[in-house]
Amino acid sequence: MLKVVSLVVAVIVWGLLSLTLPPEIFPGPLETAKVLWGEIAGGRVETDVAMTMLRVVGGLVLALLLGVPIGVLMGLNRRAEAVLDVWVMIGLTVPSLCYAIMAFMWFGLNEGAAIIAIAVTAAPSITINIWEGVKNVDTKLVAMARIFEASRPVIVRRVLLPQIYPYVMASARFGLGIIWKITVLVELIGRPNGVGFKLFYWYQLADMRQVLAWTLLFTIIMLLIELVILKPIERRIFAWRPEVAV
Amino acid sequence: MKPAIHVASLRKTFKGRDGATHTVLKNLDLEVGVGEFLCILGPSGCGKSTLLNVLAGLDKVYEGRASVSSGRIGYLFQEPRLLPWLTAEGNLDFALASCRVPTERWDQLKSRYLAMTGLSDYRTYYPHQISGGMAQRLALVRALCVEPGILLMDEPFSGLDEITARRIRTDLLTIWEETRKTIVFVTHNAYEACFLADRILVMSGGAFQQEMPVPIARPRSYDDSAVFELSRDVIKAFGDGMGREPAPVAVPKPHSNLVDDLDRHTAARMNL
Repeated sequence: MLKVVSLVVAVIVWGLLSLTLPPEIFPGPLETAKVLWGEIAGGRVETDVAMTMLRVVGGLVLALLLGVPIGVLMGLNRRAEAVLDVWVMIGLTVPSLCYAIMAFMWFGLNEGAAIIAIAVTAAPSITINIWEGVKNVDTKLVAMARIFEASRPVIVRRVLLPQIYPYVMASARFGLGIIWKITVLVELIGRPNGVGFKLFYWYQLADMRQVLAWTLLFTIIMLLIELVILKPIERRIFAWRPEVAV
Repeated sequence: MKPAIHVASLRKTFKGRDGATHTVLKNLDLEVGVGEFLCILGPSGCGKSTLLNVLAGLDKVYEGRASVSSGRIGYLFQEPRLLPWLTAEGNLDFALASCRVPTERWDQLKSRYLAMTGLSDYRTYYPHQISGGMAQRLALVRALCVEPGILLMDEPFSGLDEITARRIRTDLLTIWEETRKTIVFVTHNAYEACFLADRILVMSGGAFQQEMPVPIARPRSYDDSAVFELSRDVIKAFGDGMGREPAPVAVPKPHSNLVDDLDRHTAARMNL
């Protein structure tokens, strides 16, 4: 209920702010929605949204495949931590635009290069998150499992991994947030379609109605992913966790 | 009869940060008979947990001999150490599966020990949904249901409030009288030791200082004046008053032979 109210308030604030500038420069929610509906009804959004989603999902999967194992390794092994620490910091510092330019220059203007650029940008943040998570693993539970004669694979699978899942889940969520922003940027400089391409296209035509319509479209899609896919998964996996009351 | 636990000249040292070698266990000799309830009483840092870790096989770096003859080991930690993402029953299943107890026996074992500890109705609860006392009871069930020959307990009730701890101690004695497991129970609480044990070993500075039999008939009652008097004697003998150097006369004559060589400073630090 509170969520709905807060959403309504956000739309009202947008509406009020839009009154301060002419509608061609800052259109209000109603007008933006109308433009967006026109685009959807005209069948002009499917391809771009699909392409962007493909890159987002591809980038996220690859970023997790890179970030999670490195994070686990760094959390478990002192030496790996010492060696990779600097790498992760460098990886984190390089701007996503540089990764995108390098990927397109080295691998060509193709989907593979786009997904690599997206994944490499997001992976260091995921690594750091997982690394912290693994360091927080409760070793007392491991001692307990050893008392009960649990084998190494069993300890990893049933005692260590469940403690890391929450961090993987959190990484996937904020990873998604970062990745969608990078994807738009990557599309802007190196792809002939996608939401980022469209945004840039309409920006060059100085059509703010379209720019905001596309922004709104993707915001709605991301919110739906969060509410319809991620939240329910999280609720199911972490049903055992106590609710925090502060 | 072969003892359940046999320890001979057990030494354990480790290098401190300053490079100096610290001796945590100094040539310990210990025999625990099958079915015996032994309490090791000592202040924190005296090496009693280290000894348990060696017996449990968690710590394999030591000199001397430490052998445990009667089968599997059950261990109760100071904290319950339950897996929070598993239900009460899930936690028991984890232990049963890890110890490779045949599946067809699981139900009977779980039901038996859950009933003994009054937890039968809580199978589907997650650890965060039950109280600390119940969680520790569940940990006790977990230790028992893998049918250990020996039960090692490391100050298992020190984190509980006194009333809860009393109830569980009484339950523990009932269970022990029914199952006659060999128990090595580490504590810094003299009253607890006198209430539970057949025999008390006083430990400080990495060595056993005294051995005291507990000549109180079973079944024992928590309010038995014999338990109280014995524990009072133990406390008096160890040093009157916390952190205060006891006057030489404070050691009562009839019992002075029990504790002559106990380090009084260490004893004064004991939470007795």
